[in-house]
Amino acid sequence: MTFRTKLLFISSLTVAGAVALVTGAVAISARRAFERIDQTRREALLDQFRRELDARGQELARQIEQVASSPAIEQIISGTAEYDRAQTEAQSQSLDFLDVVQPDLTIISSAHWPARFGYKNDWNISPEDWKATNSFLARIPLPEGNAVALVCVRFAPGGKALVAGGKKLSPELLKSLGIAPGMRALLWLAPSELIDAQGPVANPEKLASLIADVKGSGRQSTATVQWNAQKSSSEAFLAMPLSERRQLMGVLLAGTSLREQIGLERAILWIGILVGGSGIVIGVLVGWWTTERVTHPVERLAAGARAVAAGDWSTRVEVLSHDEIGELAQAFNQMTEHLIEQRDRAIQAERVAAWRELARRLAHELKNPLFPLQITIENLQRARARSESEFDEVFRESTATLIAELSNLKTIVGRFSDFAKMPPPRFETVDLNQLVRGVMKLHEASLLAEGRPAISLSLELAAGDPRIAADSDQLRRALGNLVLNAMDAMPDGGILRVATEKIENGVRVSVADTGQGLTPEECERLFTPYYTTKHYGTGLGLAIVQSVVSDHHGKISVESEPGRGATFMIELPLTQGDNI
Amino acid sequence: MKRIPSRWIAAASALVALAPILTTLHAARRPRYGGEVRVEMRAALRTLDPTSPAADSLGLIPAVFETLVRFDEHGDPQPGLATSWTHDAARKCWIFAARPNVVLHNGAPWSPRGGVIEVPDDRPLPKILRDLARPSSAIVVRAEDGSLVGTGPFRIARWEAEKSARLAAHDAYWAGRPFVDAIEIRMGRPLRDQELDLESGKTDVAEILVMDGRRLRQKGLAISATPPLETLALVFENSRVPDATKEALALSIDRATINNVLLQKQGEPSAALLPRWLSGYSFLFPAARNLARAKQLAVSSQPLAFAYDRQDEILRPIGDRIAVNASEAGITLRTASGAADVRLVRLPITSRDSSTALEDLAAMLKLASPASAPFETEQALLNGYRVIPIVHLPQMWAITGAVRNWPRLADVWLDAVAPGDKP
Repeated sequence: MTFRTKLLFISSLTVAGAVALVTGAVAISARRAFERIDQTRREALLDQFRRELDARGQELARQIEQVASSPAIEQIISGTAEYDRAQTEAQSQSLDFLDVVQPDLTIISSAHWPARFGYKNDWNISPEDWKATNSFLARIPLPEGNAVALVCVRFAPGGKALVAGGKKLSPELLKSLGIAPGMRALLWLAPSELIDAQGPVANPEKLASLIADVKGSGRQSTATVQWNAQKSSSEAFLAMPLSERRQLMGVLLAGTSLREQIGLERAILWIGILVGGSGIVIGVLVGWWTTERVTHPVERLAAGARAVAAGDWSTRVEVLSHDEIGELAQAFNQMTEHLIEQRDRAIQAERVAAWRELARRLAHELKNPLFPLQITIENLQRARARSESEFDEVFRESTATLIAELSNLKTIVGRFSDFAKMPPPRFETVDLNQLVRGVMKLHEASLLAEGRPAISLSLELAAGDPRIAADSDQLRRALGNLVLNAMDAMPDGGILRVATEKIENGVRVSVADTGQGLTPEECERLFTPYYTTKHYGTGLGLAIVQSVVSDHHGKISVESEPGRGATFMIELPLTQGDNI
Repeated sequence: MKRIPSRWIAAASALVALAPILTTLHAARRPRYGGEVRVEMRAALRTLDPTSPAADSLGLIPAVFETLVRFDEHGDPQPGLATSWTHDAARKCWIFAARPNVVLHNGAPWSPRGGVIEVPDDRPLPKILRDLARPSSAIVVRAEDGSLVGTGPFRIARWEAEKSARLAAHDAYWAGRPFVDAIEIRMGRPLRDQELDLESGKTDVAEILVMDGRRLRQKGLAISATPPLETLALVFENSRVPDATKEALALSIDRATINNVLLQKQGEPSAALLPRWLSGYSFLFPAARNLARAKQLAVSSQPLAFAYDRQDEILRPIGDRIAVNASEAGITLRTASGAADVRLVRLPITSRDSSTALEDLAAMLKLASPASAPFETEQALLNGYRVIPIVHLPQMWAITGAVRNWPRLADVWLDAVAPGDKP
């Protein structure tokens, strides 16, 4: 991740985080405010229901008193009316339930269940209810189950019978509460009976846990219910038990729709997202501008450094400011100038050293043949003073020696000439394994020469005969040099292991010996021209190998430890660009 | 001159003074001809074809179409269009002698070939007679225009299917012309409308529910009733209901209260299929409630789906009461509208012959009817509580004071009071 990206990320994150914090705080505050208001509204609704129930109870008491004193009740008591006459009376007074019962509670006529005449009324009416002025809640048995009703009991004139009537707790009662928009009152009266002002409520099981909680504790309880997959269908409920004589008759639930609250929260969220998004965009733009000003010089410095690393030491960075970045650019430019100066000095010193080394080597190489030449010529001069026959003999020997030493000098000069005139490679497709086998074939005789300590050969060639683009002559010469070096490294015999293997995008050729090995210092200088560890070497063999490998765009390395032999590894690419 | 005793003079004067009154009273009890009886009925008949089953609560079909034989109120076979019957030598064919001088409603004489009707049937005679007495065996002649022509006391003067009909007196009826000139019938009239029409003088005869008889009598209306012609019974449709539960339900029913309170004592509580007037032995089937035994039998009983027509003014209260009775015994009857374990039904008594009636009841209940004496047959039908009779019901009508002999249509006549007058 670039410095600029980091800066942009941090600035954007800061803006988004700040907006998120503000949005969250506003949303939580709004939600709490809504909840407080809703709680107050729900409690007010419960109070309103209680007052409505009281008012209806008083009205019911008046109705029952009227019914009890009506002629119809007298006819029912006297047995002159039909058995279901109470139905007519109940309808006339809009009562849902009406039982005319004897003092022993035997039903004379029942409006809501006419067939129960002759049976005992089982509304759990106690004698104190007969004289009670207030209405009360009772659970009334019906053919299809029980119903909860507001009930009142009065004596008929003369005390011959009791008139018990009631009104079912129905949607109409809830409708009359005049509930504010967004609120509703629900009544749970039985496991399968949950009503609101419109009638039965769908999915009553959603409120089962809340109702069970109220039934179990006998206290108010709250819960939030989500009616469908839409979160906006959520509704917060405050539930209150409706009890009579410690018997639970039902549960009243005051519900508040959370649609508005959720809508507001969503609006806040969207505003937050909008503001946050805008902030991020602005942050990104501002950050971009800022980071551009900060990172651009840094990037140019980085580009300059990369150019220097790539070898372009003439690279300069424009100094655009006088701040820390400007000082850095100035220091960079000074550094490159110093580097160039040091490089030039190093090149000069190296060149001098190379010439010195070349001179030393030349002197060394030429000194050896020159000394015999001088001795031979001096012998010839001295032999001139001898007899002719002796002179002739000395002359023959001396000229042979001179020719041999001159040939030796020619060879030395030829080697130096060859190194200087290394031609560019001519690439062709080469079967590497075949080439290796050819090289080993060439040196097989040397390995098996009589009187030489035994060197066993181990060939481990890659499967599939890898083919590469190479100059077969140069490669053969390079491998030959490595093999000769290995053989020279094992004067007491050993194992020569030559291996080829495929590597990623190329091949590797290893030539390993079991000789005395090399020190790390020797390994470092091994490929330097004219450096040799042998008493008779020119120090050009491995230099030529390195030159060939370099011309093949490969690389050569050596692994060695003293006493454990050395392994030279040449890695070559399969192809040579456009050359083949 | 011998002086006439004053007491004789007083007696003669009294006779002279009372003579018109006595004459009038005598005339009022004697049937008179003429007039038209207006009748309303709840059923809406599509046809009077005897071969098509119809809710003929008024007995219109027998008034138009006659059978060869009929059963009297004692259940004895009586000659109808056949005056006598005998069998051939091989006892394979019964020969019924056709009644002479029978005239069809279209004026043509009814004269079977040879004056006899041969019925090839080797079953016992009582069975043959029972079948011949069924309305579906009535003598019907199809006229050229496709209309059905009978020989009964009334002919179809007008027929508007499901709306109204007019039956006119058959002047050439072999047993003598009926007293009234015609019977005007309005069909498909709700009971409440019929009662209002009767009170407003728009009809002479209105059907009523049995439980309304007492109330209407108190209002001063004349009530005419048949003997019980219908049996209310519980029928188990689910054969997997345990017999103990069935018996418990039978024992839990308080028939007396149902009759006394719900039916205003107009029915005949009974645990028998046939009413007492028809069989004479219905008291042999115990109808008393035994709640304690019912509770014992109902232990661990499962709730039963209980169905009855809740639009029926008679079935609804009785069904509700039965559910309450059952609940007291520990049996839960849950009201069902479709398939049910037990159903409360009305079973019509189709014949005045007990065997025929039982045979028809067995057919209605899809039960096998053993060929034995009526008592044994009924005992077999009731065995296992597959059917639990509750009460027998008569048919009842509220009529104006002028209508006499209702509901025997052939004998009905109108008293001196003008037809349609309010009672």
